[in-house]
Amino acid sequence: MSDTAQQSLVAAASARPPFYRDAVVVKWIAQVVTLLLVLFALFFLASQAGDNLTAKGIETGYDFLEVDPGINLTGTIDNEPDTGGRALWAGAVNTLRLSIAGIFVATLLGILVGVARLSSNWMVSKVASVFIEYMRNIPLLVHIILFFAIIQSLDNFGRTTNQVFNDDGSPALDADGAEIFEAVQGPINGWLHISNKGVSLPRVFPADGFYQWMVFILIGAVAGYFVRRQRQAVQDSTGAETYPNGTMLGVIAIFGVIGWFLHPIFGWVGGIFGAIADVIDAIPPGVVQIVLSVLAVGFAVNWIRRFLDSRRTPAGLAKLTDDDWFRMIFAGVGAMIAALFIWVIWPGGSSWLVNSGRDFFDVAADKFGDGRGSWSDDPPIDAMRPDIEQRGRFANPGPAGLNFSTGFAAVFFGIVLYTAAFIAEIVRGGILAVPKGQTEAAQAIGLRRSTMLRRVILPQAFRVSLPPLGNQYLNLTKNTSLAIAVGATDLVQVGQTIFNQSGKSLEVFSIWMLFYLACSLTISVVVNFFNVRLAIVER
Amino acid sequence: MSDLLKSDVDLEAIIAQADEEEATTRPDEPSLPPGEWMRKNLFSTPFNTVLTIVFALGALWAYRAILNFIFSENTQWDAVRVNLRLLFTQAYPDENYTRVWVSLAIVAVLAGLSLGLSKVGRGFSLKKIATWCFGWGGLIVSGVLLREPSVKTDANGLSVFTDPNGVPLERDDLGTLIYANGDPAPSQGIELVRESFGAAMGNRTGWWIIGLLLLAVGAAIWFGLGDFRRRNTFVPAIPLGLAGVGLLVSTTWWYGWGNYTFSEEGFTYEPGELVASSTRNPWTVIFFVLVAAYALGRMVQRTEQAGVVRALTNLSWLLAPFVTFWAVLRGPVLDWGYVTSVDIPLYLLFTVGGGLVLWALTNPKIGETGRIIAVVILGAAAFTWIGAFFGWFAMLQKVRLSLLFLGLAALLAPNFKGEAKQRLNLIYGWIGFSTIFHVMVTLINTPSSIEVPTEDFAGGFMVSIYVSIFTMLFSFPLGVLLALARTSRLPIFRVMSTVYIEAFRGVPLITMLFFFTVFVNLFLPEGMELSLFAAVVVAFVLFSAAYLAENVRGGLQAIRRGQYEASDALGLTTVQRTAFIVLPQGLRVSIPPLVGQVIATFKETSLLAIVGVFDFLRMARDVIPAQTEFLGVRKPGLLFICVIYFVGAYAMSKYSQRLEKQLGVGER
Repeated sequence: MSDTAQQSLVAAASARPPFYRDAVVVKWIAQVVTLLLVLFALFFLASQAGDNLTAKGIETGYDFLEVDPGINLTGTIDNEPDTGGRALWAGAVNTLRLSIAGIFVATLLGILVGVARLSSNWMVSKVASVFIEYMRNIPLLVHIILFFAIIQSLDNFGRTTNQVFNDDGSPALDADGAEIFEAVQGPINGWLHISNKGVSLPRVFPADGFYQWMVFILIGAVAGYFVRRQRQAVQDSTGAETYPNGTMLGVIAIFGVIGWFLHPIFGWVGGIFGAIADVIDAIPPGVVQIVLSVLAVGFAVNWIRRFLDSRRTPAGLAKLTDDDWFRMIFAGVGAMIAALFIWVIWPGGSSWLVNSGRDFFDVAADKFGDGRGSWSDDPPIDAMRPDIEQRGRFANPGPAGLNFSTGFAAVFFGIVLYTAAFIAEIVRGGILAVPKGQTEAAQAIGLRRSTMLRRVILPQAFRVSLPPLGNQYLNLTKNTSLAIAVGATDLVQVGQTIFNQSGKSLEVFSIWMLFYLACSLTISVVVNFFNVRLAIVER
Repeated sequence: MSDLLKSDVDLEAIIAQADEEEATTRPDEPSLPPGEWMRKNLFSTPFNTVLTIVFALGALWAYRAILNFIFSENTQWDAVRVNLRLLFTQAYPDENYTRVWVSLAIVAVLAGLSLGLSKVGRGFSLKKIATWCFGWGGLIVSGVLLREPSVKTDANGLSVFTDPNGVPLERDDLGTLIYANGDPAPSQGIELVRESFGAAMGNRTGWWIIGLLLLAVGAAIWFGLGDFRRRNTFVPAIPLGLAGVGLLVSTTWWYGWGNYTFSEEGFTYEPGELVASSTRNPWTVIFFVLVAAYALGRMVQRTEQAGVVRALTNLSWLLAPFVTFWAVLRGPVLDWGYVTSVDIPLYLLFTVGGGLVLWALTNPKIGETGRIIAVVILGAAAFTWIGAFFGWFAMLQKVRLSLLFLGLAALLAPNFKGEAKQRLNLIYGWIGFSTIFHVMVTLINTPSSIEVPTEDFAGGFMVSIYVSIFTMLFSFPLGVLLALARTSRLPIFRVMSTVYIEAFRGVPLITMLFFFTVFVNLFLPEGMELSLFAAVVVAFVLFSAAYLAENVRGGLQAIRRGQYEASDALGLTTVQRTAFIVLPQGLRVSIPPLVGQVIATFKETSLLAIVGVFDFLRMARDVIPAQTEFLGVRKPGLLFICVIYFVGAYAMSKYSQRLEKQLGVGER
């Protein structure tokens, strides 16, 4: 290559192209223009919504959370809520109940079905596979509505009655001298009632002193953790079987038994919470605002500093890409938005924070205060068996048991069985994903089949299955929203009732979004915590 | 969130492989004799024997319960039979029903062609068919034996009862139950009389014949052939399936399925009659169309043109939903004067004129001028939109859109510079796109001639099908774009796409559906409204796109770095690299999860019932139980829907497994 040609090549490479051919400029223009277009579209839609709402005479705002919604709920913690916020909270509690109970039961059932699907027994494997295919290939909503229809077509409560007799065999008489008949409902009278009114189970609930007892359990758990660590260390160093998990459970159980009788000695804990509540109440909101903004700015500054540190090489600061600049700008903008939020958009937020903190500790003080100083013989947990209440012609589930209304039972069975089928496939996949060599190696060192499963196969299978399992938990939580189809009360149902009455559509929708995003985030964080702990440490 | 929960192991692929291994028997593996098979798989240890017995008893009990429900005299299957049309097409009027049959015929033609053009597979081995015959024959025969005897009926077809002590009851002239001596029957505790076991078995002749016939065929194959021939003789699958469909269609001509309809005049209820000719004839024609198209496809498959015809068929599959929905089922009333004076000239202007502009822009010698022209066109398009916003001048919306599309195509033009063949690719693409766009806009803008009581003519199963298909078609490009943006190196695009994806994945679909059916009209300017059908499609598309994007992203991340480096070394532009290197490889890997997403969407269409669309779940849940003849009858309809959803979703998942095998995903 001649010198002139080389020179012109170098010149061409170093000269900046015109701006419309400059890759960096074009990229940024394209991005900014797109962002502006999207923002403009959103702004346009929002202004339309504002105009339309004004035209319809609907005021926007969250004040409905504070006023009487004028609705009655069924099957919640508060069936006659006095504020809209309380009504939504009652619905949210039902969603959380469904989700948490559903996750536990679905996981257990799913593991059972998944293991059955892998069984070498053709019959067991086939039955599990039919269950999985049936549940998976039919929409959850159809399952729920079908369950609802089936439960509705069951017998009524109390259709059969038994006469009550005294000990001497004579018919028992009530105050008016009439013979007493007792409603009977199966399948197990007094323990499990299934009828067209729903499902009733025995109810276990915290009695006075439950929270003091929980302090014992907590101490037991901490002690158990250290005992387990010690036993594990012994096992690792000597190879002797020391049952670390069993020992830990034993320690917790011992503390539980002791606390069962001694729980009133922790009555003073309530006083501490009360004192904390008083301290929080004394904080002026301005201090909270200042602390929050300092925290936000501090976070951003710290993040940027650490980020720059990570880009620093022995040869000096590495060249920053567009992406790096953007990240730093993003951190700064985030801090500014946070400060803006704290001082301008929602200045009442800090007093809200103070009040919620105080309320929380007040409630805690109240709960712990229950058994203070009183050495009653009552256990910290109480239980009640379901009963049937017969007023007039129709029998209903009595207040004593844990009652699932028809809709609630349909949703619960629907989401549990549906999710269990998916979990079963994940468990099966996880076990299949363990390389064959692991089984062979375990057999070669002479492990028993049960030990091999417990120590070699299942831990590895669990690690692989955890992320998809977490996704199933997310799905389950979101699927509880289908309760609306069968009239069971949950967050979506309450929200829909409220916006039908008040027209506060966007506000309700934003609350739904925040709630479900918070749920998703919580589950993700919990699952990810275990995922990181279980990950193989690669060298 | 989703990227917090990402596994490094593809569980679905592992499961699919295990299912595959379970389903296929290797040709070199000799079959076990039945006795040995049972010893190995059912009774290997005492514990296994107990398990087998317990599970078998449980399965038989469940089977008996299901049969007793299905064949019970109290189960009103008539609620389904009479309302079949309602369940499938809602209140689609009688006089327009030919349109439904034409749509089905179009689908049949395409299905036949695709089947005919598909590669001839090995088909089913005789061993598999024999096993299948044994399985179904055994199921039917055991069902006949298990089901409880039917209720005894008297000469008038009324059920026979006894009193609580077993004394038989009779009926008086009015049909009221009485004792033989004329005393009235007790009001409580009377019981139905069932036939004796022998009589019940004798009454189930038809089922005996079918079950025993299947068993006999299975036995003939099993014992007539040696193990080797059993395993290595194959019956082609598609002709076997067509023969099955043909047999089913032929039964409408000679077997009394019964004639049931529900129209404005009321119910027609004629059990035991032949199916009405208005149902029988179209199905017969459709079957012959299917067979003819299949034969045609097979003929073409052997010629040189097979590739072209296959591409055309696939394109027709893409267009079929639009054609059947807007041109056929919707029955548009075209205003021909307007069409010829405005629509067609505009179409020609944009297609021909645009084609010429693009031809000029793809000229390799055009250089920088090309881009400037493209930007000018785009600027003109933007100007028309700004003018619309401030109300400067009135203009047809489709002119603005056409101009915008032309500008975008002009921006793409430099990627097609080169030989005439390459330049024509863009021109053909533009002509095709422009044609579809103008025809669709014209069709959508003409009123429908179908008179139904609801807002949209689509209802019943039809609406579920169309919502699934449109969701799939529209959310796919959107999902790919989102995935590209999310994996892009451009930070603003990435953040916007991430926010969108996580926001949509974080909330339940039902809240999005509420948003779009209830709130969305708040956001639209005066005079603009989304119909219910359009609103749910938009909600489904936006929701499904977020999930699709994550699936596609998984595929994009599987592409090796070397591919990017190689394309950079070749000097490809970003668009070229994305279109010819990245997407083909990335999409290939993400096909199994994409089909999974299609199945999920199909199942999610059941949510339409909650937001006020009359889909078939709503029919079964609310509409049929409100009919005076079937007050409160829900379970038969719901079970029927279960069967339809199951068949659809199961078939799709099996198809996806086959597809995965064909594509050899994970083998390279």
